Amino acid sequence: MSWLRRVTARFPTVVLARRNLSRATARTTLAVVAIVIGVVAIGTIGAGGEAFKQDQMEAYEGFGGTATVSPVYHMNDDGDIVGGISDQDVSRMRQVTSGATVHPVIQRWDTVVRTSSGETSPSAQVKGLASLGTFYEAQSGSIPDSWRQQVVVGSRFADNNDVETGDQLTVTINGSFERTFRVAAVLEPQGFADQLQADRSVFLPFDRLSQLEDSDSEYGSVIVRVDPQTGSISEAAESLETEFNTRRRTISVSEVQEQRERFSQTFELINQFLIGVGSISLLVAAVTIANTMLMTAIEREREIGVMRAVGYPKRAVVSLLLAEATILGLVGAATGVPLALGIGMVLNQFLVGDPLAFTAAGLRYVGLGALFGVLTSLFAGVYPAWKSANKRPVEALE
Amino acid sequence: MTRDTSDSEGAEPTETDREDQPSDAASATTGVILRGEDVTKEYQTGTQTVRALKGIDFGIAPSDFVAIVGPSGSGKSTLLNLLGLLDVPTDGAVSLRGQDVSTFSDADRTRNRKRAIGFVFQSFYLIPTLTALENVEMPRMLDKTPVKTRERAKTLLQRVGLGDRLDHYPDELSGGQKQRVAIARSLINDPALLLADEPTGNLDRDTGDEILALFDELRAEEDVAIVTVTHDAYVAEEADRVVNLVDGVIEDTGETAADGGHGA
Repeated sequence: MSWLRRVTARFPTVVLARRNLSRATARTTLAVVAIVIGVVAIGTIGAGGEAFKQDQMEAYEGFGGTATVSPVYHMNDDGDIVGGISDQDVSRMRQVTSGATVHPVIQRWDTVVRTSSGETSPSAQVKGLASLGTFYEAQSGSIPDSWRQQVVVGSRFADNNDVETGDQLTVTINGSFERTFRVAAVLEPQGFADQLQADRSVFLPFDRLSQLEDSDSEYGSVIVRVDPQTGSISEAAESLETEFNTRRRTISVSEVQEQRERFSQTFELINQFLIGVGSISLLVAAVTIANTMLMTAIEREREIGVMRAVGYPKRAVVSLLLAEATILGLVGAATGVPLALGIGMVLNQFLVGDPLAFTAAGLRYVGLGALFGVLTSLFAGVYPAWKSANKRPVEALE
Repeated sequence: MTRDTSDSEGAEPTETDREDQPSDAASATTGVILRGEDVTKEYQTGTQTVRALKGIDFGIAPSDFVAIVGPSGSGKSTLLNLLGLLDVPTDGAVSLRGQDVSTFSDADRTRNRKRAIGFVFQSFYLIPTLTALENVEMPRMLDKTPVKTRERAKTLLQRVGLGDRLDHYPDELSGGQKQRVAIARSLINDPALLLADEPTGNLDRDTGDEILALFDELRAEEDVAIVTVTHDAYVAEEADRVVNLVDGVIEDTGETAADGGHGA
């Protein structure tokens, strides 16, 4: 007796189940395919969603320990819009948040950016921010520390306008200011969660913008950073609120960490919803398996009747059919997991730039898909197995 | 091959059981395997009650060969199901070696069926995905004694003349060979009683004769009692007793062989 038979003889139910499945190959394959689809759906949506989230979360990387301050505008009695953050306000912010670095951001809307080929890009946002390098990383070129003749552009802007490091860009502001700059760096893609929408921005030297004659010393927003070793951003945010918003709300302070958590939670919710939708495919698979097993049970009624007649207890018949259903699930999961991982690797490469950038959470979804696949099959086999085992052998043999 | 070869295994006490059980001496006269008294079986079909068996008596002793004949609808299959513990009577009592079958739970009946009764069917009912050898092993596959089961199955297949067909699948076997595999399967647990439902029904005359010859050998060598339902006259001729069942009652007892007066 070979070792193989010694091993398999210990699990006769599994041997019988496997043999039984081999006789209706097409039907068995289709049932397995249904499970594979379910496992792949859950695994891929889960892992891909996690990769996407990870990709978007990178935007927060440079903003650890920061809060963004944006102006709140009001309408005065004359119907004019008032508000905004002035130089004076920035000085006050520096005073009340001792220990924090305050980076005002200039944003101009009256700009035209022209590439060397003469194309203009109306969607480009022209901004000025000192120490840009502490917030972002460059995907090509390098972000200069102090600069006057150069610009740094976002990835989306670079892609859309075919701009590379070293190219020339001409920036016109308010019809009066016009200058040509060399592109010093293209930033890493940041995603939609980014504070400054850097992907579609053109960063001009801060001093250039602040020294413009028409500059009314108004800032689009302010980034406040506290070194977490020495202080707390929450305290700084609170000080700002007390200073500026006691009489009337003139600024809105938002801690990036809080935004990050909110974003993460929102994303989790969306991902879970998508996985829920993906799970429906497993539900369909369960119906397919139940149907397959019912057909099997009906086809083999006589055979099962004979087994009962020769002394197989009901329990043995139930085990046999459940084993068959579970094998379908196991094969489906075993096929689905590599497929889900493969698709996940493509998504990782596409979104994060590294095919192996699976997160623990992403892998957990793949495992979850596999587990659900097997459990679904097992569960779908229960009714057919029960029905089959409780058929009286007499009826089955008639 | 003798029955002792497998009894040494101890997993399925057969012979020893037979000796232990006739404690109720009154009902277990002279080692009667199966006894029925005033057995009635009714079926409910819609609102109608059909009486398939109307109070019949029978007794089956070791190495008996009983043929049940009768027109279709006469209750032959019903009787065979009762004999095989596949069903319980509505009225009257069927006892297996003195034990009233009606006291058995479903699991008890299954266990006793496995221990004492072998089945042979007209359509063989072999499992197509198992080889001849595996089909013979099938009733004992869950017993966790694969080595002994395999040896016993090989011996049985050799016994029925299929020693060279062990690894053939059912669709590679002729009708007569399939039926011989089925008979080997029915013997794997050393039953005291073999129930054969039209065992020659799907076979030609020559092959049918071979099967009958095999039955004779089994009775002579292993004391197996054989009860068969048949339409074939030549099968009935071979039997010790012929039970002529008409409309749920035993019409007349054919060749009531000299076997000391148990009813049918």
